[in-house]
Amino acid sequence: MSGVAQARAFVRARGRGHRTWSDRYMALMTAGLLVVLAAPMVGRAVAAVPDGVDPARAGAGLALTALLLAGALVFARVLGPVAVPPADAAWLVLSPLPRRGVLARSLLVLAAVSVGIGAVVGLALLSALGAPDALTLRLLAAVVLGASWALGGMATAVLAQGSASWDGRLVAVIAALVVVAAVAAAMAAGPGQGVLVGIGSASLAAWTAAASASAAVAAGLAGRAWTAVARIPARAVLDASTRAGLATGAVALMDPSALTWIAEDAHWRTRVLRSRAWPARLRGAAAVAWLDWRRLARRPGRLALMAAAAVLPALAAQAGGGVAGALVVLATGAAAVAAAGTAGARRDAGDAALARLLGAGPRALLAARAVLPALLGGAWLTLALAALDAAVPGGPFWPLGLLCAPALAAGALRMARRRPVEHTLPVMDTPLGPVPLGPLVWALTGADIALLGCAPALLAFAGGVTAPLLAAQAAVGMAVLAAYCAAPRR
Amino acid sequence: MTEMIIDARDVGVELGGVPVLGGVDLAVEPGEVVAVVGANGAGKTTLLRCLAGLQQAAAGSVAVLGRPPVDEPGFWRDVALVGDEPAWYPGLSVAEHLELMRAVHGPGRMEVRAAVELFELGGCADRAPASLSTGQRQRLSLAMALLRPSRLLLLDEPERGLDAAFRDRLADLLAAYAADGGTVVMVTHDPRFAEGARRVALAAAA
Repeated sequence: MSGVAQARAFVRARGRGHRTWSDRYMALMTAGLLVVLAAPMVGRAVAAVPDGVDPARAGAGLALTALLLAGALVFARVLGPVAVPPADAAWLVLSPLPRRGVLARSLLVLAAVSVGIGAVVGLALLSALGAPDALTLRLLAAVVLGASWALGGMATAVLAQGSASWDGRLVAVIAALVVVAAVAAAMAAGPGQGVLVGIGSASLAAWTAAASASAAVAAGLAGRAWTAVARIPARAVLDASTRAGLATGAVALMDPSALTWIAEDAHWRTRVLRSRAWPARLRGAAAVAWLDWRRLARRPGRLALMAAAAVLPALAAQAGGGVAGALVVLATGAAAVAAAGTAGARRDAGDAALARLLGAGPRALLAARAVLPALLGGAWLTLALAALDAAVPGGPFWPLGLLCAPALAAGALRMARRRPVEHTLPVMDTPLGPVPLGPLVWALTGADIALLGCAPALLAFAGGVTAPLLAAQAAVGMAVLAAYCAAPRR
Repeated sequence: MTEMIIDARDVGVELGGVPVLGGVDLAVEPGEVVAVVGANGAGKTTLLRCLAGLQQAAAGSVAVLGRPPVDEPGFWRDVALVGDEPAWYPGLSVAEHLELMRAVHGPGRMEVRAAVELFELGGCADRAPASLSTGQRQRLSLAMALLRPSRLLLLDEPERGLDAAFRDRLADLLAAYAADGGTVVMVTHDPRFAEGARRVALAAAA
């Protein structure tokens, strides 16, 4: 028995966390329930894999798959990825115990999560490219391919946690995935459709070879990560554990806004900022609102990412989601982009200490703070709709983008100022099962007035863009924002 | 007759039906530095929150600057509060937090550069507050409060995280603020602040 195992056994023997048969039964039941819920979805996805290759669908699907993988790696890099529970962080990491033994359990969890994500990536890949023959074997090859990519990526992220040079390589991999996504999306539009057809109709032997090669590379990276983790700096593990602990707490307490502060503080903590004077003409509420502009200007990478994300709705439509899928991505994207300009309002809603020191009037401040999310949301929506116009019939939709901007700003500000989830609200019985009202109300706060303010635009999507609907959208959007800013509040 | 800055009479506060403060009288004149001292749980912070309009009194009356305190901008234009948790905006440097305060309130009691020097923030002026130590964040909060114009300064344990040398400097800064016509009410556990104060109001457990 290793020292780590002895230490864990000691803690288990004296701790309160003794696992009963009931605990094991519940864990087994949960796992079984997950399988029962996931199996039909996987079955439907496999049944929907096309026989032939549609270049537009293949390109869009490839792009989304690459972005999914890149997103997973970015998330792993931000969070750690190697983290341990608070007790292990406090007592076992800073101890003479072999570090690899202390971290082995976390590594096992990471590997399992990677394989799970990889399986989804593989299925998405097959769904995008199609299976002209031997569906089962192609599915197996695709899952191995996806799992290898995800596992290899996670191993690189583990190596990056303890080494600056590997961190550079991880960033390069993420950038390469984004480039692959962009190229695939461009090829779907026309110039590379022949290549996409070639990829989609590749023989089973080619799929098997690619899967085998990827598995070999992933195994090599995993082995290297396993070796390197013995020398991973304690500080890197402790920092990641703190972030993971805060994130877990935020999820457990259903306080997702706490996650944004974890990410914000982690981003700014290590940076030197070039202090500049405030623009001399800005006074009062406008001066307070300016902080969001300055903060955003300091994140050009995020701005570029947001601009690039404007192609996602078109990709979602082309990858098989249709107009409905595109609308979901449009709504989510526009809300997220508008929310990127409301950090100041979010901070003041969480802790009003600075707002009190600043003493700015709430209505004037809201009005001043609405300008940035309106510009961001409106510009992004216009870009996304212009891209969508090329992918779906019924447009042009792009003029709706800027007209929706005021409603998006009102929704983003309301979202930024919402209170944490109210867990004391009752659980509502619905035909789909019990729904807790607290999280539901929290999730809908902000989306409610954004949807209300964009109602004419939604009608335009359903029945076509007309001049009266455009005029109605302009009026309703402005009215919603004006009403939200003018509502009495402290 | 001098206008009272704070006139609190027979103030009582209940939290969840449990009395945490009772029968407190406090009268503060302009230019005074008042230290509220007492044992843990005596209700010092509750009294300060009452004076700031963040906590409703269940009994008695509270008047600050001649009117009941309310948590709204009109009140905060005259009153500066430094609470128990320093706060900051993401993406702004230390110096920019001070710039923001000056931009919103106009020229105040001191220039930004002077505040950076006085509060020994020069070494971290270009860093985000998220990267600062507890003491540095506390100095930033105090600098922001003292930079802006105000008539009343409410401080909850201003000594938190500060080193001994800077505590002395802060006591001098608060005395200068009072000499300039401002009024300070602070909750403190540090005897040097209590000694330097013109009056010490002992908070009694309810």
